Amino acid sequence: MKLFRRLCLVFMIFTALPSYAQDSEKIFNAQSFTLDNGLQVVLVENHRAPIVTHMMWYKVGGADDPAGKSGLAHMFEHLMFRGSKNVAPGDFSKRVRALGGEDNAFTSYDYTAYFQNIASEYLEEMMRMEADRMQDLNVQEEEFFSEQKVVMEERRQRTDNDPRSRFYEQLGYNLFPHHPYGIPLIGWMNEIASLTPEDAREFYKKWYAPNNAILVVSGDVTLDALKEMTQKYYGDLTPYPELDQPRVRPEIAEFYGEYDVRYQHERIQQPQIIRMSRVPSIRGEKHLGIALQILEDVLGSGSTTRFYKSLVVEQKLASNAGFNVSNASYNEGQIYVYATPLPGVSLDVLNKAIVTELQDILREGVTEEEVQESKDRMVAQAIFARDSVSGPARIIGRGLASGLTLDDIEYWTRDLQEITMAHVNEAARKYLLPDPSQNLIITGYMMPKSQPQKIEEDAVDTQGQEVVVE
Amino acid sequence: MKKLILCFILCIVCAPAFAQDAAEQPEKILDIQELQTESGISAWLVEDHTVPVIALHFAFKGAGASGDGPDKQGLARLASNTMDEGAGQLDSHAFQEELRREVISLRFSSNRDMFGGVVQTRSSTRDRAFELLRLALNEPRFDEEPLERMRAANLARIRNGLSDPNWVSARIANDRFFEGHPYALNSGGTLSSLGNITADDLRDFATTRLARDNLHVAIVGDITAENAKQAIDNIFASLPESANLPEVADINVQNVNTLAVFEAPIPQTIISAVQDAPPREHDDYFAFTVMNHILGASGFGSRLTQEIREKRGLTYGIYSYPQYMDHINTLNVSVATANENAGQVLDLLTAEMKRIQDEPVSAQERDETISYLIGSFPLTLSSTSSIAGLLLNMQVEELSVDYINERRKGFESVTIADIQKAAQTYLTPDNLAIIMIGQPQGLDHENVIKLTTLPNVE
Repeated sequence: MKLFRRLCLVFMIFTALPSYAQDSEKIFNAQSFTLDNGLQVVLVENHRAPIVTHMMWYKVGGADDPAGKSGLAHMFEHLMFRGSKNVAPGDFSKRVRALGGEDNAFTSYDYTAYFQNIASEYLEEMMRMEADRMQDLNVQEEEFFSEQKVVMEERRQRTDNDPRSRFYEQLGYNLFPHHPYGIPLIGWMNEIASLTPEDAREFYKKWYAPNNAILVVSGDVTLDALKEMTQKYYGDLTPYPELDQPRVRPEIAEFYGEYDVRYQHERIQQPQIIRMSRVPSIRGEKHLGIALQILEDVLGSGSTTRFYKSLVVEQKLASNAGFNVSNASYNEGQIYVYATPLPGVSLDVLNKAIVTELQDILREGVTEEEVQESKDRMVAQAIFARDSVSGPARIIGRGLASGLTLDDIEYWTRDLQEITMAHVNEAARKYLLPDPSQNLIITGYMMPKSQPQKIEEDAVDTQGQEVVVE
Repeated sequence: MKKLILCFILCIVCAPAFAQDAAEQPEKILDIQELQTESGISAWLVEDHTVPVIALHFAFKGAGASGDGPDKQGLARLASNTMDEGAGQLDSHAFQEELRREVISLRFSSNRDMFGGVVQTRSSTRDRAFELLRLALNEPRFDEEPLERMRAANLARIRNGLSDPNWVSARIANDRFFEGHPYALNSGGTLSSLGNITADDLRDFATTRLARDNLHVAIVGDITAENAKQAIDNIFASLPESANLPEVADINVQNVNTLAVFEAPIPQTIISAVQDAPPREHDDYFAFTVMNHILGASGFGSRLTQEIREKRGLTYGIYSYPQYMDHINTLNVSVATANENAGQVLDLLTAEMKRIQDEPVSAQERDETISYLIGSFPLTLSSTSSIAGLLLNMQVEELSVDYINERRKGFESVTIADIQKAAQTYLTPDNLAIIMIGQPQGLDHENVIKLTTLPNVE
């Protein structure tokens, strides 16, 4: 498996987008309406097979966990399967399966989404059940405490069992000081353990309402039928007026400088280096956001791009290297370069080579041709996006729940054309090797536990402060 | 984030039409055309012009890692990594750059039994995409630079895996459950075996294992039957007539009634329990599948999930799933739980296996499971590539184009008594081969074995 290719996927999902009959500039030709209670509904028609994806997105996520109660949004997602007024605990998924469907849910920092893939004839039944748990969830003590143990097992499985996951958790904490993006989405173990049923009930009362949700339906249903069904099942739910305000989150602390996180663990055999800093989100600065995504495509989308080619193919310092921009979030996003050293190459040598390569890229700049090719490629990728039922629902839901408008998503390939080589190079100058007097730069060194002397030498070399963990 | 999506890929051949209106004529949901090309290659096609996209999936049966041998573990894998790294006049950079520029996805893959690949292209770049595949299959270069690069990437992958307890668990699982058989080896190679593989080995692999007599092809999307036949001949007709494949023996699950523990300083124990399963072509296949679905394959709603996750909060996920390979069929159960609960979870697992043997399942369980197994089939038809994957699997499993309907009837005929009989005939709760990675506590097993070395890594 080629890791660098897999790492491109996140971006491809967001940009992979086709054209359709009526408006050739739009990617999905999605149709949209809003119920009186504020529930936004989006439809992407697709009649290839008699199936639909029904996806309810709530504009609340881990970044909205109350202080000291990390993991609440995620644990709450679990509780949505543990019983509501008309659906007994554990029955939600059972009912979906009995109808030949599949269902699941996921939580991010900015949103929580619940979905079912099912034959289109059962779309109404999905709405009936989803509406039931939007306004009539029962958080029962017994269910809560057994689910709390499940989530603690989930944390052990995802994070505590693998030292690499612990490393990334700690990098995130350093990159987003005093901001919830730095706190693990699944929560700290001690805080998961201290959550109470009352916490869950309060969270539900605060966030789960039609005017804080977006319903995205993709598949074999018409707009007229959908309007009727959504009015019938979701139309009577009560909105919470206070949710119409923009989301408020703590400001990221103004920490500037370069920090090294040197992480050693006895179970690490393969060292790795990653340099991270923050960038504005697309929601915050759209043109910059798109320019950064083009930069990512030019520099980081495969084995023929400059960064990989220099470090892996030509200099033979690394077995893998890449560059990634992740800026589709509601608050700030992040940009990082990473490399896996070949045996015998120290992380410090590799770090110097990375910096030199980034300096070269900045000095030379990306070319007109590279930018144009990148835009063409993104437009071409767009064709694949409509070639699935659930894909469009995910792309649209994620965008809207992260604060973009439907037009931002639909006209992505058109907006792309406005970005010039100058925009891309400006974004590169600002963020590829950011000025440490105005930015926070975190360099993570993951390594086996056996080089004590090396560490001391490095510590002396390092400019700025050092955070040593484990 | 709610649960692991593990098992559906494994039962991709679950394949019927809609469940609810059983009285109606089964709807023809997939119009499969069986093609025969001029050079005699057969392939399956589903024509669909709604999106200007084409997916071609292919597999060479018997060409997978089971033929690698202990000294060249990882050969098939390395071949899959390097075959798209230069072919004909194009070196690695030129080949990959063209794929990138034209947004053509072309990749090879291998498992124990098969070597295969996938091409996905827009209609406008179809001819070039197929030409690049032809070149890769017929004229791969295996140049030194990309070979060394891919070798290094595989070695880094192995070293990375050493800190992942799931990866460690897979190494031990193969070694214990398939001991003495080629399946026990590491299809991803070992730190030493990868160094033994030369460009000549890769050339030999390509010329001896990939041939027309072990080839299966599926093609789906914006292409006509005539064009598809021509494309398939262009790509595959020059391959050798027949493959020269190593003999691989059939095997049963090894080390049954043992519990092997590999101590690792982690808070959660990873548990795998394995036993033999009836083959897919067996008459009991449908009853066995329904039984297993009720036991643990469905994730939410299964008895194992209900008892171990929902009632007691002992795990984030527990699944039982069949694995059909060329030389063995197994039923696998995977679960992870805090170290102190390992013994309890194992006891609950065997208790549930016994309960489904001792008591008939309810009518509701039977009906809902069959309804799911039949009704969820169209969900696999959600994209060009997923349809191609389904068609390929059906061919590899030697099923007919009509299997979708046969399977529907097969499931509909399963009775409550059949389900109990399948559980009694096939489940062996007291004779499982079990491994645990972690610091498991509370074990009450007569044959606990402590493992101290990690097999097939060095």
